[in-house]
Amino acid sequence: MVKTILRRLLQMIPVLFVVVTLTFILTRMIPGNPATAVLGPQATTEDIAKMEEKMGLNKSKIEQYGMYWNDILHGDFGTSYAYGTPVLDLLGQRIPNTLVLSLTSLVLALLIGIPIGVYSAVHQNTAFDYIFMFLALLGISVPIFWFALMMVLVFAVNLGWFPAMGIGDWSNGFWGYVQYMVLPVICLTLHPMATFARISRSSTLETINTDYIKAMRSKGLSEPKLLWKHAFKNALPPIITVVGMQLAYCVTGAMLTETIFSWPGMGMLIVKAVTNRDYSLIQGTVVIVALVFIVVNLLVDLAYMLVNPKVSYEGGGKN
Amino acid sequence: MKKMKKIIALLLAVSMVGAMGACSGSNQSTTDNSSSAAEGSTENGESSEAPTATDDEGLTPKEGGVLVIAQSASPAKLDPVEYTGTYEGYIIDQVCDTLVDMSQDGEIIPSLATEWTVSDDGLCYTFTLRDDVYFHPGKYQDGRKMVADDVKYSLERSNELSANSRIKIDHCEVVDDTTVKVYLPSPSATFLTTLTDTGNSIVPQEEVEGWGDQFGAHLVGTGPFMMKEFSLDEKCELVRNDKYWAAKPNLDGVTFTVVTEAEQTLNGLQAGDIDMASLSGESIKLAREDKNLTVLENQALQFSYIYFNMVNGPTADKEVRKALVMGVNRQDLCDATYPYDSATVASLPLPPGSWAYDASLEDLVPDYDPEGAKQVLADAGYADGLDLDFYTSDSKSSMDMATVAQAEWQQIGVNINIQTSEWGTFSEYCANGKCDIFAMAWTWYADPYFYLNYLFHSSHIGSQGNGQGFNVPEVDELLDQAEQETDQDTRAKLYQEAIKKIVAEYPQVDYANRKNITGVTSRVHGFKMSTDNAFDLCSSEANVWIEE
Repeated sequence: MVKTILRRLLQMIPVLFVVVTLTFILTRMIPGNPATAVLGPQATTEDIAKMEEKMGLNKSKIEQYGMYWNDILHGDFGTSYAYGTPVLDLLGQRIPNTLVLSLTSLVLALLIGIPIGVYSAVHQNTAFDYIFMFLALLGISVPIFWFALMMVLVFAVNLGWFPAMGIGDWSNGFWGYVQYMVLPVICLTLHPMATFARISRSSTLETINTDYIKAMRSKGLSEPKLLWKHAFKNALPPIITVVGMQLAYCVTGAMLTETIFSWPGMGMLIVKAVTNRDYSLIQGTVVIVALVFIVVNLLVDLAYMLVNPKVSYEGGGKN
Repeated sequence: MKKMKKIIALLLAVSMVGAMGACSGSNQSTTDNSSSAAEGSTENGESSEAPTATDDEGLTPKEGGVLVIAQSASPAKLDPVEYTGTYEGYIIDQVCDTLVDMSQDGEIIPSLATEWTVSDDGLCYTFTLRDDVYFHPGKYQDGRKMVADDVKYSLERSNELSANSRIKIDHCEVVDDTTVKVYLPSPSATFLTTLTDTGNSIVPQEEVEGWGDQFGAHLVGTGPFMMKEFSLDEKCELVRNDKYWAAKPNLDGVTFTVVTEAEQTLNGLQAGDIDMASLSGESIKLAREDKNLTVLENQALQFSYIYFNMVNGPTADKEVRKALVMGVNRQDLCDATYPYDSATVASLPLPPGSWAYDASLEDLVPDYDPEGAKQVLADAGYADGLDLDFYTSDSKSSMDMATVAQAEWQQIGVNINIQTSEWGTFSEYCANGKCDIFAMAWTWYADPYFYLNYLFHSSHIGSQGNGQGFNVPEVDELLDQAEQETDQDTRAKLYQEAIKKIVAEYPQVDYANRKNITGVTSRVHGFKMSTDNAFDLCSSEANVWIEE
């Protein structure tokens, strides 16, 4: 297991190399001059030349690429042109905000989605099953943007229960912070929750109809024990896969939700970075998001191994 | 049980239809949203806040309360020499003062300088400063008096460091604590106007040097409000400066927040989360229908136009440009870009609010005449029609306008290929002279210099202003002459002469003058927008207050 982790960590190096290089090439390939993007239309040609020099854009692409690697290896992801702040500082401020939203949503989605799915499977073809699976279908299909605006219209504008936008302040107490989270978290929970409910339903259905469960039932095992200890454990691998995918979704999906709710996380940062052709910031953010995906993938694989010791990544012996 | 299943199936079918409705509804809002976001950036240098009104209700102003203003773009750099957008300017304006100010009617009025004289050669301005102005207390000074040294430091710093050139001076000379002389490299009629620019705010050297790169986040000035906290992309909190020289502000403070989605801006106003925000698109209509909101409107110093490439391609031919101008109905373009009565139709490359605007010149621009246009094209050798690429930003309003232009030009045999791209790409294309046709908007001060020089002087070829490559020596000459001349009437005449020559080249279609439209909650009183798209929350002219 330790060997696997180490090997996987080593594999991250070439992946990150490719990510950094590709991002560098792609940012330089997008048409658009960062200097004009930052200065706006009223800039004169001299203003633009001055800004290009300040940004180091007057150097050759090869030189810029070399300098970028040199900086990264020294732990410096550069300074954002538009914000005038080091990229790492910006990410350091934003990542916690994004994680608060995405992790809360993910946990809520798991806590609500999985029990609904399992219950629906056990009570297949009942009214509960139909209603909740229909709601889950709706949850997957509803566009977040529309759903978010409807939530705001109902709960912020008409009922006035929660703020329509912004981020709270812990100095105003627990509720002072949490009330700002309610609407964005609901929006962000919807999609993963629905996915978990559907996947855990189908996966549980598959296992409870297998012969070994039937055999255990005939041996007189109690239903709850049968369900949770045996059936559910075997239904877990597909759910874990989806959790991994949804965690990544929560981080990227948070970006749209953040923009709508003016929540200062990674989402607002990267949208602005792309608009401004803020090369260092785009690169920094992409590398961080790539890291998130790589680590989540690793965690998912490790989780498979925990759930099913037969799974091995040492080559051979797959279940 | 079977019956139950049937009922559920029926329910499912019914709700499915509902869900499909939901999906289409969402597409609608997504498009609207992207439009307003991109429009903000299209008119990058422009105001996103706005207009006139209120406080003639005979109410007694009250002290207290915090005003929350939402901006559609996020301010990042608040050091005056580094600011590039109006959304940054609005904040700096509340914290800092300039030597002279622009009144709400567009006149130059005293601010930190009480009076000024100009030398005969127009090269030296002598300013007398107020004696009762103090900086906000900061980390590196305790709220000391503002003196002539600070003016010298701030203006020379701006001259050297400003991201966008804000001022052109040679040097400053301190005579005594309340007198400072500013020397110019050449006479400039626009000097006092440029002094009103936020970039030329007076700041204390100790704080600038003490904070270094971080000065913007800890901005110190002499204005009515002091910076309390600035969090990027979140908010900027200002608190009252009790020692403000012009008046004691009524408001306890001001908070600027960022709301990028147009729908959310209106929601925020209606929910009471924000007090004031610029409105666009359908929000304008919905806000007008809401009794709890006041919609303030005034004409912006702005015009929207379609530029033709004057160097490359078929549009380099003046007759082709003439046919294009004749072949499109400007009113249709105006209505497509600015629905809900948010603009008036334009003719000339200067906002009607500018003092050099002469309505009699409007007749020089040909009227909509598709038949005549066809003839002009045929005479120019394009009887069989021609193909042109039309570049616009990807905002909904720009795309709507391009579609209307495409349909009308089709009628005269011009086949338009619309190319949309987001602002970053678009801005580079049009600055580089790569587009046959592109759509832009321009806004600034009342002085014609800030429109005509940037759009039509050959020295600006290569920037977005003169991306079409307009290069007419007689126009350059008139513009240069007008810049050196100090008498406003003479200048107006020179600019009108220049406009005549410009219009005769058919360089563009000027089709709309946008209005500034601001939504304000009914508890806010005394807010007024200046013609140059700035606003004061507390000054010698205004003192906004909130009814709790």
